[in-house]
Amino acid sequence: MKLQIETTNIKDVRKDEKTYINNGTLFVNVDNLKQLVLSDDRISSVDIEIFKPGDQVRIVNIMDTVQPRACVEKEESDFPGFVGPIKRAGNGVRKSLNNVYVITTNPETQRHYSAFTDMGGTASKFTKFAKSFNVCIAPHQAENVGETDFEFAVKRAGFVVAVALAEAAKDIEPDAIKVYDWSFEETFKIDPSLPRVAYYYQLYSPQHDNKGISDPCFYGTQINYLLPTIVHPNEILDGGIVGHTTYRALGTDAIQNHGVIEELYSRHGKDLCFCGVVCGVANLDPIQRNRKAMMASSLLKDFLCADGAVLTKIHGGMPHVDLALVAEECEKLGIKTTLTVQPLVSTGTLSATALFSSDILDAIVIVGATQEKLTINFKPQIIFGGTADSKIFNPDPFPQRAGDSIIVSEEFLIAGIHDHTGGAFISAKEY
Amino acid sequence: MTTPAVLSYLLRSINYRFAREAKQLNYRVVHYLNQFFGQVGGEDKADIPFVIKEGPIGPGVLLSQLLGDGIEVVGTIICGDNYFSNNPEESSLEALGHIEKFSPDLFIAGPAFEAGRYGVSCGAVCKRVSERLNIPAITGMYHENPGVDIYRSDAFIVETGNSAGKMKDDLAKIARLSKSLLYKEWADKFLTGDGVGSPEEYGYFSRGIVKNEYVSKTVATRMVDMLLHKLKGEEFNTELTLPKFESIELPAPINPKNSTIAVVSDGGLCRKGNDAGFSGRGNKVWTYYHIDEFFKDLGSRSNDDYQVVHTGYFSVNVIDNINRLVPIDVMREYESEGYIGNLLPIFISTSGNATVAKECQRMGQEMAEMLRINNVDGVILTST
Repeated sequence: MKLQIETTNIKDVRKDEKTYINNGTLFVNVDNLKQLVLSDDRISSVDIEIFKPGDQVRIVNIMDTVQPRACVEKEESDFPGFVGPIKRAGNGVRKSLNNVYVITTNPETQRHYSAFTDMGGTASKFTKFAKSFNVCIAPHQAENVGETDFEFAVKRAGFVVAVALAEAAKDIEPDAIKVYDWSFEETFKIDPSLPRVAYYYQLYSPQHDNKGISDPCFYGTQINYLLPTIVHPNEILDGGIVGHTTYRALGTDAIQNHGVIEELYSRHGKDLCFCGVVCGVANLDPIQRNRKAMMASSLLKDFLCADGAVLTKIHGGMPHVDLALVAEECEKLGIKTTLTVQPLVSTGTLSATALFSSDILDAIVIVGATQEKLTINFKPQIIFGGTADSKIFNPDPFPQRAGDSIIVSEEFLIAGIHDHTGGAFISAKEY
Repeated sequence: MTTPAVLSYLLRSINYRFAREAKQLNYRVVHYLNQFFGQVGGEDKADIPFVIKEGPIGPGVLLSQLLGDGIEVVGTIICGDNYFSNNPEESSLEALGHIEKFSPDLFIAGPAFEAGRYGVSCGAVCKRVSERLNIPAITGMYHENPGVDIYRSDAFIVETGNSAGKMKDDLAKIARLSKSLLYKEWADKFLTGDGVGSPEEYGYFSRGIVKNEYVSKTVATRMVDMLLHKLKGEEFNTELTLPKFESIELPAPINPKNSTIAVVSDGGLCRKGNDAGFSGRGNKVWTYYHIDEFFKDLGSRSNDDYQVVHTGYFSVNVIDNINRLVPIDVMREYESEGYIGNLLPIFISTSGNATVAKECQRMGQEMAEMLRINNVDGVILTST
């Protein structure tokens, strides 16, 4: 499969009567975008605003952040399962916009916590969304639509807008073209002295399922039952896998630019042979977990023929144990592993933050202590996706609201700081 | 401090700050010494109360030179080791009172080397200064000084030799750390914006905190680099070393028929309003409830009577029927059928979510002690 991403760099975004790009400026017909969103009758109305760097805005109840991408060829499917029909992602030409994001909010969310981001104040120094143009949407629920159904509609709306924006780049010369050309067959034609390195991608955990229903993050379907499976790396980059509704340092845009996949592609044929991807879900039940670890490691060993594997996890405590089990099974089969962890506390030694013990796992990289608390001084002029009364989560039992000029937040809830795909320049150390 | 004194202090601070910024005056440092290093006398003078001097005294003179231009030791506080340790609470407050009059930007105590009373007093004063004046507080101790373990989280404790033999080197370390903190050389390194130099580089005992910092390579690059070293059999540095847990010998099995069984849960169940004071994450407290009272009239009680304080799972099914977490209904059946001897009339509750192992161990020991006193033979521990 060959994926070709043609990127246009955007320097300004302005409202206009048509949606088009001229000289690096994206002009947007907001009414048109609204009509596209409202074609889903689960949505009764929608607010869409465009914010630019420097705007003193706090965006709350964030469900997703998406980089605008659109298929060029008719046969290919945009965000399959959400926008286009379920078709394998990862093949063909895509138009992509840099420096613009769609931020999808759910102002009517019932969840205990959602992500938020600030384009001014303390947090703006650390989040990438303070430096980008953000097309923000806030759909409202139609009558007689259930909560889960509406969440799906909101997530879909974000993708619909992302596609519409990227389509503006259809007829213009891109600023950059990047090709992701990979086939399993071809991996055996690469210099055989290079180590075969695979990627195990823990892409989901059911522990935070709202009402016990899984987020539809794999081709728009629920996956709490998913057995470990082999996927083509391009499927991950091209919308086959999307961010969780709970967000937690994993927006779709991070997956569209997946840190580990990009790294393995860039070194393929140079100091390693990228031999494939196995993805799996974390399991609550120990029998399923053991079965998953056994199956995933054997896929890596016998079907991808891996010498080594890098493994990443999503946010959560149990996912540490789950990932470690997969890594241990790999090591037992002779596959050398490196895995990621996130210390969930900010005191004590790093060793003390480990949630598993193992005699054979000796190569660990720290994504960051994602629950480190950040004190944020910011009095937003505008709050989008909610109101000044919208709750901002705090694990300690005192309430905070979006309009408070000082709030304390765990970093993983601030969109644009941490990145579970491995793309951030962050680590955690003892001080 | 009295109100006029507070106002006077505030005014002086404000004036001083403006003046400093306008004319680029020196950073001000206050130094604390015991009676010996303060050149008052030896053990015979260990009872002297506070003596305040302008400028540097004793090792403060060398310290001053090492701190260099732009940083001035404006005052020295001297106190007898015995005087201080007779009442450390009051003495450290008294010290604070003297220190703040100098409007310092940084505070240095000692170094105390291996001297225990001196180390503890240095640490105690540093702690007061850190908390109340919000300026860096630095001291120096030998690793066996008891002050290290007590105060390492409250001050920057530079590791020194065990005597004044290498005073110059130790003061140089203190000076180097002082400068990096005053000039905020590492401020942008941390995500939280309050970056400092690392314990390894500056030679101080780690303060027991974990901080996120910006580094030059992405997580993905670091993972692949590390893996390639590992595959080639080369050395590599893991970013986290897993702990070794002690293995616990399993107790002998019991016969439930003549045993007292207790139920313990870490699912975060408590009364509405969080009477237990649980934290949803990193919780460090536990409590117990009388089963009869807690489970009384379960059918007629509304969901509003209970609460789960635990951010690690979706608790709606537990609130719906708390027996799902704390299985008292089944335990009662077993008791009446004689399958167990008897059920302890209380159940223990805590919230176990991202709590560090050390705290879990402490809570477990405390719980075990209570259960032992109540002659419990076996525990059903429900987890989530």
